[in-house]
Amino acid sequence: MRFLQKSFLLVTFLLALPSAAFAQAYSGERKFDGVHYNEINGSLFGGDNVVTGAFFGENAIYTRHLSPRWSISAGQQIQFLKNVFAIDVTGTYRIPVGKKVNIYLDGRFMFSHYQRWKVNEPVANLSAYLETSYFDLRWGWSYIRYHKVDVNELYRSFTTASYGEPLVMTLQLGVNIRPRYNRWNLGIFLRNFDQYYYENWNINWGIRFHCTLPLDMKLFGELNVRPAGSISQLATRYETSLKLGLKYVW
Amino acid sequence: MKKKLSLFLLIGLSALVSCQKLREKINPIGILVAGTAVEDRVEMSNQFYKEILEDKVWLVVKGDYSFLVGADSHLTTDTGRLDEMLAIGLKDDDLFYAHLGDLADTKAEYYYTLDSLLEEAKRRYVEKNFHQTGKYEWVANTNQDKDPVPYTYDEIAIPFFPVVGNHDITRNGWALWSNIFHSSFYEIDVINLLDNGKFAYDHLIFLDSASGTLGKTQIDLINKGVLDGKYDNGTSQYRYTFVFSHTNIFRPQFFEFASTFTREETYFLLDQFEKWNVNIVFCGHVHTWDERNFNGVHYLTLDSMCEQNNPNPGDYLVRINVSDNELSWEPVKMNYSIKKK
Repeated sequence: MRFLQKSFLLVTFLLALPSAAFAQAYSGERKFDGVHYNEINGSLFGGDNVVTGAFFGENAIYTRHLSPRWSISAGQQIQFLKNVFAIDVTGTYRIPVGKKVNIYLDGRFMFSHYQRWKVNEPVANLSAYLETSYFDLRWGWSYIRYHKVDVNELYRSFTTASYGEPLVMTLQLGVNIRPRYNRWNLGIFLRNFDQYYYENWNINWGIRFHCTLPLDMKLFGELNVRPAGSISQLATRYETSLKLGLKYVW
Repeated sequence: MKKKLSLFLLIGLSALVSCQKLREKINPIGILVAGTAVEDRVEMSNQFYKEILEDKVWLVVKGDYSFLVGADSHLTTDTGRLDEMLAIGLKDDDLFYAHLGDLADTKAEYYYTLDSLLEEAKRRYVEKNFHQTGKYEWVANTNQDKDPVPYTYDEIAIPFFPVVGNHDITRNGWALWSNIFHSSFYEIDVINLLDNGKFAYDHLIFLDSASGTLGKTQIDLINKGVLDGKYDNGTSQYRYTFVFSHTNIFRPQFFEFASTFTREETYFLLDQFEKWNVNIVFCGHVHTWDERNFNGVHYLTLDSMCEQNNPNPGDYLVRINVSDNELSWEPVKMNYSIKKK
């Protein structure tokens, strides 16, 4: 059963990989505008976590629109004090449904290193993202592995233990007060993942915004509240963070 | 259209609010916030354990011993399974019981029932293991001193050590739970007198993971070494170490809908268990059996022993057999099933 799950995920992921991008914190219009083939999306964030205490960091994502339908992106993130380093590559295929509705199919591979606990975490994720003028919904599945690593006397790392989790569902619901292609917007979201982690049943919620700036730039940001134990009726404070970023196209 | 939608929403909400059974299970406020925060529970527990009990809880046993572990009894009005667990342990002379949380389903009357059940179990325990030397004086049958120090009945406690589960604390259930057990974050040493006359020390660690996170206070206390043991040599002093916690570390199957730990906390715990040299970590919560080994630590996730969740007889308990040169475990069958009405 588990072999079938893994095989299914791997094959579907390989098929979707040549496509492109999780738009992450930016919640506005993301489809190719017909003029600008490149975009870069950078943000700074900071917050407090129950296990690691205060942390701050940066992340940057580059996206290349290969055609009106296909795009590919690559990103990286560093979380200082929490000591987490992550990279990812995402392929996206867009299916337009009418003039204002799009469905994006995302295939993603991500790798995170949790330096404090000597853990490497590769993740493969497949998801479908539906955007309408006011609402958005993401649904998919992740395969998460983690490896406990150590370093030998020759400074070479080796795995001492590893574990592949059963498939984890990816879920996001969002709603904005203005249509997504408006010059500014404000919205709320619920989701069980963030830019570089996928949770099981710990549901994040928060507030997001974006607005258009001069020179082909957009300002975006979000407040992300990440409780623990939310599906056990006991959502407890775990992590709160703020993110502020810029998106530039050329 | 808008009127129709509003009417539909109103009917839906009324149905939700008026459904008594659903209200008992799901508390809309509880989805957003816990009744009693883990920080408060841990502070209270640590203070009780360190200051009131003065860290003086230990078990002394001669030769090989065993203990019995059960999870998620979700006691309501039917006491069958929990009663059976207590009876099995007494019959087979287990040194102690460990319960992995969700003892009862957060209703005051269920905790009164639980209290009475434990009181009756204590009576049977004292009857079997102690003899009366005076009107209010009891001496353990194993005590071979010529002039033993007697206990009063109130000083004797049944060795039943639980951790707190999420169902124990929703809707301020902590007040009921802590009234009986006082502490959700504690450690106990087992002092084992070996056949060769030497002593071995085993370490029992009980964590409060009912909220799906240990919380900042508990993590800080762990980082400060509060649960590293009472001896100067720290963890290396211990022969075997066992951890008891409600929330499961590993998800047995992909369609399990119970919250587990967040990513950072999972890795923190896996690392901490290695630092403590833990032999076995016992978890519950997910109501599904799972067994695995990760980096030298053995993890047993127990199925629910609750008669409502698992009506048929089955292996819902685990017995750990401890000897100086071997540690082993075996499933223990429970025969009680719900009586047909």
